[in-house]
Amino acid sequence: MATTLLEVTGLCVGYGDVRVLHEVGLVVKRGEIVCLIGSNGAGKTTLLRALSGVVRASAGTISFAGESLIGLAPQQIVRRGIAHVPEGRRLFAGMSVRENLLMGAYLRRGARTEIRRDLDLVLTTFPRLAERLSQDAATLSGGEQQMCAIGRGLMAGPQLLLIDELSLGLAPKLVGELGQALLAINRAGLSVLLVEQDVATALRLANYGFVLDTGHIVLADPTALLAKNPMVQEAYLGRAAVNA
Amino acid sequence: MLYVQVLVNGLLLGGLYACIAAGFSLVWGVLNVINILHGSFVVLGAYLAFFAYTALGIHPYLFAPIAALVLFGLGYAIQYTVVNRVIEAPVLVTMTATFGLALLLDNIMLVAFKADFRKINLVPPLGVVDVGKLVPGLNVVVPVDRLASMLFALLFVALLYLLLRRTAVGRAIVAVRMDRYAATLMGVDPTVIFALTFGIGAALAGAAGALLSPIFPISPLAATSYLGKAFVTCVLGGLGSVSGVLVGGLLLGVLESFGAIFLGPEHALTLSFSVLIIFLLFRPSGLMGKRGFV
Repeated sequence: MATTLLEVTGLCVGYGDVRVLHEVGLVVKRGEIVCLIGSNGAGKTTLLRALSGVVRASAGTISFAGESLIGLAPQQIVRRGIAHVPEGRRLFAGMSVRENLLMGAYLRRGARTEIRRDLDLVLTTFPRLAERLSQDAATLSGGEQQMCAIGRGLMAGPQLLLIDELSLGLAPKLVGELGQALLAINRAGLSVLLVEQDVATALRLANYGFVLDTGHIVLADPTALLAKNPMVQEAYLGRAAVNA
Repeated sequence: MLYVQVLVNGLLLGGLYACIAAGFSLVWGVLNVINILHGSFVVLGAYLAFFAYTALGIHPYLFAPIAALVLFGLGYAIQYTVVNRVIEAPVLVTMTATFGLALLLDNIMLVAFKADFRKINLVPPLGVVDVGKLVPGLNVVVPVDRLASMLFALLFVALLYLLLRRTAVGRAIVAVRMDRYAATLMGVDPTVIFALTFGIGAALAGAAGALLSPIFPISPLAATSYLGKAFVTCVLGGLGSVSGVLVGGLLLGVLESFGAIFLGPEHALTLSFSVLIIFLLFRPSGLMGKRGFV
């Protein structure tokens, strides 16, 4: 049995008076890819932000590798091993691909050999980045930007990678390529929490899935089961007509 | 030949302007704070150099890095304790905060150092280089103190560039400027980066102050004048890049130098501010303005 890496219970998060997450519970086990699916505005990004310490939870617990993350600042959370690849990539424009990747390793200053090793690892995973190392990150194609953003996350040397919208705005072929890379990274021991609107892709990549609907977790199952669930099929896979 | 001399004078002055403006531009670009204190930091650096020379005999050029270090500490502390409280507020609020701090610092300096204009008289004086002796036909003289000040000033600007481009902290400064949220996710603490940036800005002002102390009269009243130079330089060169302050500083120096010849020294400032207004009207991004820094 894999041990629990991340455990969220009863998490409530809001912006001002607006409650976005209602007593959300979620578990990521070591070595797993877990997907979080749900429609626009369901609160997926907010959940990732709460895990990263960018927004504060009003109630609930977040425990990571047996330690509570509640009240910790983002940099303390990165240091404990959670890297967050934000929605829209958000690379640093005007900085080269190499500089962007090194920014991911910001907190590991001094650990030169480890940084170099991880940089090599990122460049073997995404050979296309190796060709564009000194290029301005803003000039990359969408797919390359996503590779760079994931690479930047990996440079933090995390135990858990949070990815917000892997496939957004990318051609299916590229999504397939990124998915393969993600599976390879996962096989190397990294746990992944993937937020994804493209439910078919999410269910294909992940072992376990949570469905978030207007701030509530409404389903939690292995992805093989989720894919067969009529509610998931109807709401997210557009297969209602097939089953009817 | 007169014009070559005027051009040289302008470039010598421009190097110092670039150094004065570099820190101002950095703080404006990264923190979006128009730091009214900047001119006062320059004056404080000049006073420190003055007392270091008169009391301890430390040469101003050697003292420039020390002035930078002292001002870094002061800038870091001011940002961390005061400006950070209003950093999220609109630009007018932060400007008012630094305006108040500038009044405070200027008046402390007035009380402590008096309003007399002081000047470092280097003993022995550094003299001039007669370029005509080296290059026959080019009858230009270069005062050595101004040349040295300019070169050291440009060295500090180059150091800023290297810091931003080659170090992890420099990258973090640029990253916070580009995307504060994404930088936070990388584990960068913007509060610390803001304080560092403000400190570096003050350090450059302090170094510039020490470097100009053998050339210009030192007085707390000069603070606004230096602030004006920094502001015009940023508008001419464009905000957000080291190359911008370099171009802007040299351009301003040359403009003032020629303005003094054609319109009289009393109108040098008129000219530079006229150019400022023209730039704001027709090219508000300056010659090299761009997003980001470096």
